[in-house]
Amino acid sequence: MIDAFISLLAGMSSVFLAYYLAALGHAIVEKSGVLNLAIDGIFALSVAVAYAEAVYTNNNILASLLLTAIVAALFGMLLAFLVTKFPISHGATGLSMMFLGYGLASLVGLPARNLQGSIRGLEIGYTIDVYNPVWIAVYVAIVLIGLGALFLINKTKIGAAIRAAGEDPAAAEALGVNVLMVRLFAGALGFALIGLGGAIFELAYVQVWSEGTGMGHGWLAFAISLSAGRHPLLLILSSSVFAGLVKYMTTIQAMYNISTELAKMLPFIAAILAMVIFMATPLRRRLAPPKSLGKIYFREERTV
Amino acid sequence: MEFPISMIIVRRVKPLPYWIVPVLALVVGLLISMIILYAMSGGVITPYDVLVSIYYGFTNVGLLAKTFALLIIVGIGLLVSFKGAIWNIGGEGQFYMGVMLAAWVALFSGFAFNGFIAKTTMILMAVLAGGFWALLAALPRAYLNIDEVPVTLMMNYIAYYIVDYITKSEWREKQYGFRKTPRIPETTMFQVIDGTTLTLELLILMIVIFVAVWLLFKYTSLGLRIKVLSSNPNLLRSSGISVQLTVVTALLLSGMIIGIAGAAYLGSVSHNINYPVEEYTPGYGYTGILVAWLSMLELIAVPIAAYIIGALHTAGISIQIMGAGGAAVVNIFIGSILLTYAVLITISEYKIKIIIKKR
Repeated sequence: MIDAFISLLAGMSSVFLAYYLAALGHAIVEKSGVLNLAIDGIFALSVAVAYAEAVYTNNNILASLLLTAIVAALFGMLLAFLVTKFPISHGATGLSMMFLGYGLASLVGLPARNLQGSIRGLEIGYTIDVYNPVWIAVYVAIVLIGLGALFLINKTKIGAAIRAAGEDPAAAEALGVNVLMVRLFAGALGFALIGLGGAIFELAYVQVWSEGTGMGHGWLAFAISLSAGRHPLLLILSSSVFAGLVKYMTTIQAMYNISTELAKMLPFIAAILAMVIFMATPLRRRLAPPKSLGKIYFREERTV
Repeated sequence: MEFPISMIIVRRVKPLPYWIVPVLALVVGLLISMIILYAMSGGVITPYDVLVSIYYGFTNVGLLAKTFALLIIVGIGLLVSFKGAIWNIGGEGQFYMGVMLAAWVALFSGFAFNGFIAKTTMILMAVLAGGFWALLAALPRAYLNIDEVPVTLMMNYIAYYIVDYITKSEWREKQYGFRKTPRIPETTMFQVIDGTTLTLELLILMIVIFVAVWLLFKYTSLGLRIKVLSSNPNLLRSSGISVQLTVVTALLLSGMIIGIAGAAYLGSVSHNINYPVEEYTPGYGYTGILVAWLSMLELIAVPIAAYIIGALHTAGISIQIMGAGGAAVVNIFIGSILLTYAVLITISEYKIKIIIKKR
């Protein structure tokens, strides 16, 4: 019984970490007031970049993780810059970056897959399972990252600035916060985490690539993040539940006769219900979305 | 931190003519996508190839027709809610709820013996289904002030999985056991206009919806209320009109119109539902957003925007046939045009000044 449970935990550790990082990254981006609809496109792009870099460097995992984090962070900074500097819609910008991410993902992935097909025996990825003690480190890391993120957001100066930029950027600016800089920081950090999530999803879980790999999983991370009210520690709970669902979907289906579709839609239903609960009950003080999330913030309103 | 270069954005005294921005966005966006495609494909897709495909896309009217008509319907549907600053990103879900209910009517309701009755019922049920799906997001938006963007977006996925579930279990075709529904009966298929990919019913629906929405915004108080909702909700409140009810109506109408597009898609194009639907979807719910935005929320401009987007869609598919890039080339087009547009829309009302500071 204990053994089975341990192998269950070990088996889902990689998916858990991937979703947790992506959902935490999303939470940090949105805490700064930037509505993040680019997540799914950039997640798919990260999956492709991680795969391609692993193929080109003969399965160098570190290089692959690093490059993916940098690429994703650049997109995060672009999103944060555009919506803070210009009076433009967060939704429009995010969705167009989503499309761009999907497109770039297949342009990046296809040549790498052709290369992998031509080299015999080149397999990429790093498997974390019960025979690899790294899985314990993964769980420890998740808790440490969660505590670290909580500390960053609630106890540090930069965290206070991020929250201020999300609640009321105009007031924050008046009190001396450089909203643009803060959002660039949150965008870079958040999207680097989303990129790492995508890379881990690919390298430690999927380990192959075809067009469309990773698409939809970014939205899943989005739903995981919203269902936990963007709280770093609650996110551990929600991402473990939904990572378990994704990882063991076929088993659950066989054992309890629940359809895979129901399991797949659960995170989205949970996220919508959570949003309703967070808005309608006293929980809203802690878990409601930032007040200025997705609102156009424009500093230079002057007429010449 | 002090940069030597800074950028200041100031309001224009007089806004630019409204058509400049979409045209400029198209040109710049296409240039950007040509560069991306050329650089990322290692020179396989040249700008010349892109231009040839775009020419092919714009001139191949027969092939374009169905996409054009469906995008107009979806675009108009989205426009109704966008006019009220209600950002309905859930077009995909409302579309597929329409497809699902229309398929139910065609396959199982027993109306299929008479084409006219069956098609009318298909459209009516699709209206109800799309409206219902939008209503689920509209109520929390109106009464709890929950942002409609994430809710409508996530409901797309819930809709996909519902359709997936029913397609592979209850409605699965029995003959070969493939994961798809049987084809809808001949009587319920929309009537193809010779030489095009368009159907008669689709054309009629498109015209009726266009005229109806034009009348809505031109003559009815509801249309006016939706417009005021975006510019000044406090005015609605002070004149005793329920803001909540206006929000719900705008989103409901939007979903109902998009549901019709779903029924028309089933009757004219797909004729059955394939599993998994999230991979087979034409994505009109998303590209429709682009159509609505590119039209600057002007109803008259929706057909133009739908034509352009439909042509780019066809062009993307023809690049894909060349072998490089795959299905997502269309996404590069859409992404770069939309992003350029989102940024450039600033210049219609604002001036961007680059200031180089002297040390």
